[in-house]
Amino acid sequence: MRSLRVLRGYLFTVLGIAIGVAGLVALGAMSERIVRFIEGGDRFVLGQISVAGRGMGMGTGFTAGGILPAATIRAISEVPGVQGVQAQIMLPLDPSTSQFMTVTQELVLGMDLSVPTPNRHYRTLPVRSGRFLRQGDHKVAVVGASFAASRGLSVGSHLMLEDEGYEVVGVLDRMLTAPDRFVMVSIDDARAQWVAKDRLLRTVLASGGMALTASDLNTGAAVGWRDGDDPDAVALRIKERVPGVNVQLPSELSRLLRSSTAFFSALLIGIGALAFVIGGLSLANTMAAAVFERIRDFGVKRALGATDLQLGREVLAESLAVTMVGGLGGIGLARALGWFIDRYLAQAQQLFHFSPRLLVGALAFSILLGAAAAIYATARVVSLSPAEAIRRGA
Amino acid sequence: MLRAAGLVKSYRAPAGTPIRVLAGVDLTVKGGEIAVVTGPSGSGKSTLLNVLGLLEDGDGGEIWFEDTRVSALGRAAKSRARGRYVGFLFQSFLLLPSLTALENVLLAARYVHRSGPATRRRAIGLMQEVGVADRMDHFPAQLSGGEQQRVAFCRAVLNDPPLLLADEPTGNLDDANGAVILDALRGRARAGVAVVVVSHRPEAAVGASALYRLRGGVLESP
Repeated sequence: MRSLRVLRGYLFTVLGIAIGVAGLVALGAMSERIVRFIEGGDRFVLGQISVAGRGMGMGTGFTAGGILPAATIRAISEVPGVQGVQAQIMLPLDPSTSQFMTVTQELVLGMDLSVPTPNRHYRTLPVRSGRFLRQGDHKVAVVGASFAASRGLSVGSHLMLEDEGYEVVGVLDRMLTAPDRFVMVSIDDARAQWVAKDRLLRTVLASGGMALTASDLNTGAAVGWRDGDDPDAVALRIKERVPGVNVQLPSELSRLLRSSTAFFSALLIGIGALAFVIGGLSLANTMAAAVFERIRDFGVKRALGATDLQLGREVLAESLAVTMVGGLGGIGLARALGWFIDRYLAQAQQLFHFSPRLLVGALAFSILLGAAAAIYATARVVSLSPAEAIRRGA
Repeated sequence: MLRAAGLVKSYRAPAGTPIRVLAGVDLTVKGGEIAVVTGPSGSGKSTLLNVLGLLEDGDGGEIWFEDTRVSALGRAAKSRARGRYVGFLFQSFLLLPSLTALENVLLAARYVHRSGPATRRRAIGLMQEVGVADRMDHFPAQLSGGEQQRVAFCRAVLNDPPLLLADEPTGNLDDANGAVILDALRGRARAGVAVVVVSHRPEAAVGASALYRLRGGVLESP
């Protein structure tokens, strides 16, 4: 009962701390969201050797581009060290708009389901409801979490892709990386979509100028390697032995990805530093002010015989309780804010990721900083004589 | 019980010049005695009481509580000495606003490690003696000035200190409430406690064992 009253006495302090911690956690959650996106991409590119047909599409897996014929895929599979080659097609869902921001890009991914996924880090994708694609599937789709949320799709829903109807048979878990905005279909369905989307490809096929069959229509391939082999060495071997392909070394692609996201990384550091400074200053200032406001109480308590140690212990216990409550309140406030923005303003994108490490870190940070500020303020107050403390507090 | 010799205290004016408030105060108060110090406002009465009660350090002189030279003690030991030897009564009561009347009284026991059911019973008994037991769950803001000072009196005597220091204890009270507090102080003196009262009210001197006037930084007998 008395503890509750003590906290009520600190109501504005708790609110001040909650607002500071909410700012810290909200900014941190946005940083975590971007970190997860970059880490997810990095994990993906390090799990496979990405090969594209030589041509416009230099980055297999990110845009439609140069054709990777079936014969080339067979040649890749015969390179020593290679284990598993999965033909793929990646197409922008809407080719009429710029896709320079991959954070929001929606893609159609067609996969050859007769081959197990070679990516070592994504053997399977986590399905939240329904099922994943199977060999022989036709006109069915598995959609990413953000894609489903933005269109209100669930298992059994239908969606139109290039004027063809598809049934949604599965929705993925939210992964906070690229597949959240994917529509996954069988490679045959993706080939049909590619032809429908690309007038130049239709013209080439109709002219008979290139001897292409359906199985030649691939934008790239995901290539696996045998256990014990060095993926970069296998990639170099593919480069040497198979003409007409663009091969990305996993380590090089990872480096490229990281350098292309260096801006985001710098932004994250800036946001993090800002969050720490603003949130930390707000919290420390609020806590110290709360102690300074009680200067007269400290004077009275010392007059009654309290030693510096007794007062320090008392303030420490109170500040821990206050910062704990304020910190938890701030986390709740930030989560509510994040939920509201994600739900109503972010068009089904998840802008915040409240990771356990962020929440625990923010709470520990607020408690430690609050306690430090309270102890500092108490040390300043008890350095005064009791009479002076009473005079100043009057 | 209380012996002070050669107490000196100066403050510095904003211009930097020292203002001597106590210029060699000698005072002895035995158990059962009431010493009343009068003097005009600004004469240094409160400063004298603060120095005697170890609420601030003097610039010179010595203070003894019983056989202990408390003026020579360190910070923590002075705090413990205040808790053990001294009960304070202030003009502005100085109750903690976040605590109930009973909790304010019990606060005195917290720092001398006397908290417990017996202390609580004693606190309630004291509040009954001065007529505020029915207000024990009220907060200071819900009490009149007279009630607040009676609660403050209970806090001052809870630990049975051998020395009571009262700084204008009736300054913010009407005559009736002032009389209650002064009677209570006299009662403590009769029980063997040494009491020092600083006041400019003449009725405070009634029943005093010794009456002093603080003038020019020294105590004079009128």
